[in-house]
Amino acid sequence: MTRAQRSLTPRTRSSFSWRDTLMSYAFLAPALILLTLFTFYPLAYGSYLGFTEYGGARFGQGLPPKWIGIENFRTLFADPLFLTSLGNSVKYLVVVPVLQLASLAVAVLVNKNLPGMTFFRAAYYVPVVTSISLAAVMWEWVYNKDGTLNWVLGALHLLPNGAVGWLNGEATAFWAVMLVTFWRGFGYYMVLYLAGLQGIPEELEEAAVLDGASAWQRFWQITVPMMKPTILLCSLLSTIAALRVLEEVLVLTNGGPLNSTYTALMYVYSKAFQGFNFDYGLASAAGLVVAVVALALSVANFRLFRESDGEGT
Amino acid sequence: MKYALRLLTLGLAFSATSGHLSTAAAQQPVEIQFWTWYLSPKFDPYIKTTIAAFEKANPTIKVKWFDKQATMVQDFIASVNMGGAPDVVNLNIDETAKAAQNGFLRAVDGLTAPATLKTTFYPQTLRNFTIGGKVYGYPWYGSLNEGVLLYNPDLLKKAGVSAPRNMTEMLNMVKAVKDKTGAYAWVPALKDPGGASFLGYFFSDGLPIYNASGQAAFNSPAHIALLQRYVDLFKGGYLPEDALRKEAFQLATELYAQNKVAMIVGGPQALNRIKDSNPSLYAKTVVTTAPLGKAGVQTGTSMGMVIPTASKHPAEAAKLAAFFTNNVNQMEFAKIVPIVPTTAAAQNDPYFKKVSADPIAKATSLVGASGRFINPGFKVPGNSDDLYKNFSDNIEAAMLGKKTPAQALNDTVSYWNTNMKK
Repeated sequence: MTRAQRSLTPRTRSSFSWRDTLMSYAFLAPALILLTLFTFYPLAYGSYLGFTEYGGARFGQGLPPKWIGIENFRTLFADPLFLTSLGNSVKYLVVVPVLQLASLAVAVLVNKNLPGMTFFRAAYYVPVVTSISLAAVMWEWVYNKDGTLNWVLGALHLLPNGAVGWLNGEATAFWAVMLVTFWRGFGYYMVLYLAGLQGIPEELEEAAVLDGASAWQRFWQITVPMMKPTILLCSLLSTIAALRVLEEVLVLTNGGPLNSTYTALMYVYSKAFQGFNFDYGLASAAGLVVAVVALALSVANFRLFRESDGEGT
Repeated sequence: MKYALRLLTLGLAFSATSGHLSTAAAQQPVEIQFWTWYLSPKFDPYIKTTIAAFEKANPTIKVKWFDKQATMVQDFIASVNMGGAPDVVNLNIDETAKAAQNGFLRAVDGLTAPATLKTTFYPQTLRNFTIGGKVYGYPWYGSLNEGVLLYNPDLLKKAGVSAPRNMTEMLNMVKAVKDKTGAYAWVPALKDPGGASFLGYFFSDGLPIYNASGQAAFNSPAHIALLQRYVDLFKGGYLPEDALRKEAFQLATELYAQNKVAMIVGGPQALNRIKDSNPSLYAKTVVTTAPLGKAGVQTGTSMGMVIPTASKHPAEAAKLAAFFTNNVNQMEFAKIVPIVPTTAAAQNDPYFKKVSADPIAKATSLVGASGRFINPGFKVPGNSDDLYKNFSDNIEAAMLGKKTPAQALNDTVSYWNTNMKK
C-alpha cells in the first residue's frame, strides 16, 4: 500500500460509514417515525397508564393521570372477574395445538398438485376474510337450539337429552366459541404452512420415497423438521391471538353464561370502553398482565422449538 | 401636545377599528357540532329539515351534524380529551347520568330557564335527567317498556286463553300457552348487557329498589318471591334460553315473526319489523293495552340532548337542543316513527286521538300520548357499569340454578351497597 493510499483509506472509510449510517437511517425513517407514533409511544404510554389512576371523573374534569404505583395490579388480582377472565384466556390456549396440527395436516394435503386443489385452498381461506358479524349470524344458526348442529346430531341419534342450546350452557359455550376461533384461523395458518411446504426441496421427499419411507414417516421425519421455523411462527401468532380473543366472544356470548366465556381482553375492553365509568388505568394494567403472559408464552415457544432443534441436529 | 393628539387619534382609530371588528365577529356565524345516536340514514330527512328550520330561525348559528353509532361514548370521551368536544349530544338516561357523574356535562337548567323546562316537559321525563338536583339533559323522544300488548290471536286461541290484562294473568298463562301451542307466551327482559332491566319488574310490582337512605334494598321476601316466579318458569323451559344472552326486545321480535312467541309487550316499533318480515302475521296481529304489574305503572326510557362541559358555545348549543326537543319538533318526529314525545303538550295532540285498524297506527295512538309514564323505575346508581354487571350475573346465576333467588339478590344488594358511588 502506498503512502497516498494509506493516508486516504481511513478517511474514506469513516466518511463512507458516516454516509452509510445516515442513508440507512434515512431509509428507515418513515417506518421508524410511524412505529414510534403508533407502536412505541402507545406501548410506553399504555404501560405508564397501568400505574396511574386515569379515567372516570378525573378524565371528565380534564385532570392528568395520577401515579398510584402498583395499586391497579392489587385491584386486578383481588377482582374475581379478572382472575376468571385471565383463567379463561389461558384455557383458550387449548385451541393452539389443535389449530396448528390441523392446519399443517391440511396444508400437506392441499399441497398436492391434484386437479381442483386450488378450489380447496381458496375455500379454506374464505372464513379468514369473512366479517365477524356475518360469521356470528351463521354460527348462531348452527348453535341454536333448533339449529343445524342439533339437527345433524339429532339425525345421528347423538342427543339423548334432546336439543342443546350450545351457546347458552356453561359447559358448552366456551368450546362452541373456541370452534369459531378455530374456523376463523384455520385457513390463515394453512396458507402460511403451504408457503413453508413449498420451500421444501422435492428431492428430499423423492429420496425418502426411494428409501422406502411411508407417508407418515416422511411427514414426521422430513416435513415437520423442515417446517420448524414456520411452525414456530404460526404457534407464536396463534398463541398471542388466542390470548387476545375478543370478537367472537362479544358477538356470540358477550362473556356469558356465568362469565364462562369472559376473556381477559373482554375485561380490558369493558374497563376501558364501557360507558362513562371507564378506567384507563385499570384497563392498561390488565392489558400489561396479558402482555406479560403473552411474552412468557412466546419465550416458552422459542425455547421449545430451539431446544428440539438442537436435539434434531 | 402634538404627540398627545397623535396618540388620541391613534386610540380613536383603534377603538373604531376594533369596534368594527367585534361587530363583524358577532355577525360571523357560530358553528356548533351536533351528535345524534343511531338515527342516520333512516331519519336523515327529518334531522336535516329540522336543522334547516333552526338555522333559518337563528341565522348566526350553523349546525354541523354527525350521527354516531356503536362508538358514540368512546368518540365523545375522545373528542373531549382532544379538545374538539361536540356542543349538543344525544344520550339516553343511563349514559347521561354516568356522564354527569363524571363531570362531562353542563347543567341545562343554567342555560334554559327552569320554568321553561317545567312547562315544556312532563315532570317525570325531566326528573329522569335530574342528577344531584340539577337537570343535565333536554328530554327527547322516548319509549315505554310495556307500551302496548301485541299478540298473535291464533296462538292465544289455541292455548285457550285471552289477552292478559295484567302481569299476574300473564305469568299465570305462560305454562298453558307453551304446553298447548309449543310457542313461548312472551319474552321477559331478564338480562341485558348494559342495564339492569329486571329491576323494572320490581318497580312495576311496587317493590322498592332503594331504601330511604339511598341504599339498594331489592332483597325483601317479596322481591325474592317475584324472582323465584321467573326462575321457576325459566327452569321449566317456559321462557326462551336465549333470553339470557340476547336483548329481550330483539329476541321477542325475531321469535314472534316465526310464530314461536305468542305476545310481545313493548313499543309499536316491533310492528315495523314484523311488517317487513312476516306481513300476513302483521295483518292479523292484535294491539291492545299493555298488562301492567301490581303497581299499575309503566316503565320506559327516553333519549335526551346534553351539553358537554367542554362545549365552546353552550348558549347556542342550548338553543339547538331546546329547538329539537320542543313539542312541535317531537310531534313531527312522532309522525314519522312511533316514538313517545316527552313534551307535556303532546298528550293533547289530535294526532294521537286518531282511530285506525292498522296495527302500527293503533299502537302509536295507544302509547304516543303516554309520555308522562316514561320512567325507568329506578335512579341510575353511581358506578353503574360494575353494579349492573353484578346484577346481571346474579340474575343469570339464579336462572341457571347456581344460586337461589334469595342468595342472588342478597349478594347483589351487598355488592351494590359496598361499591355504589354516590
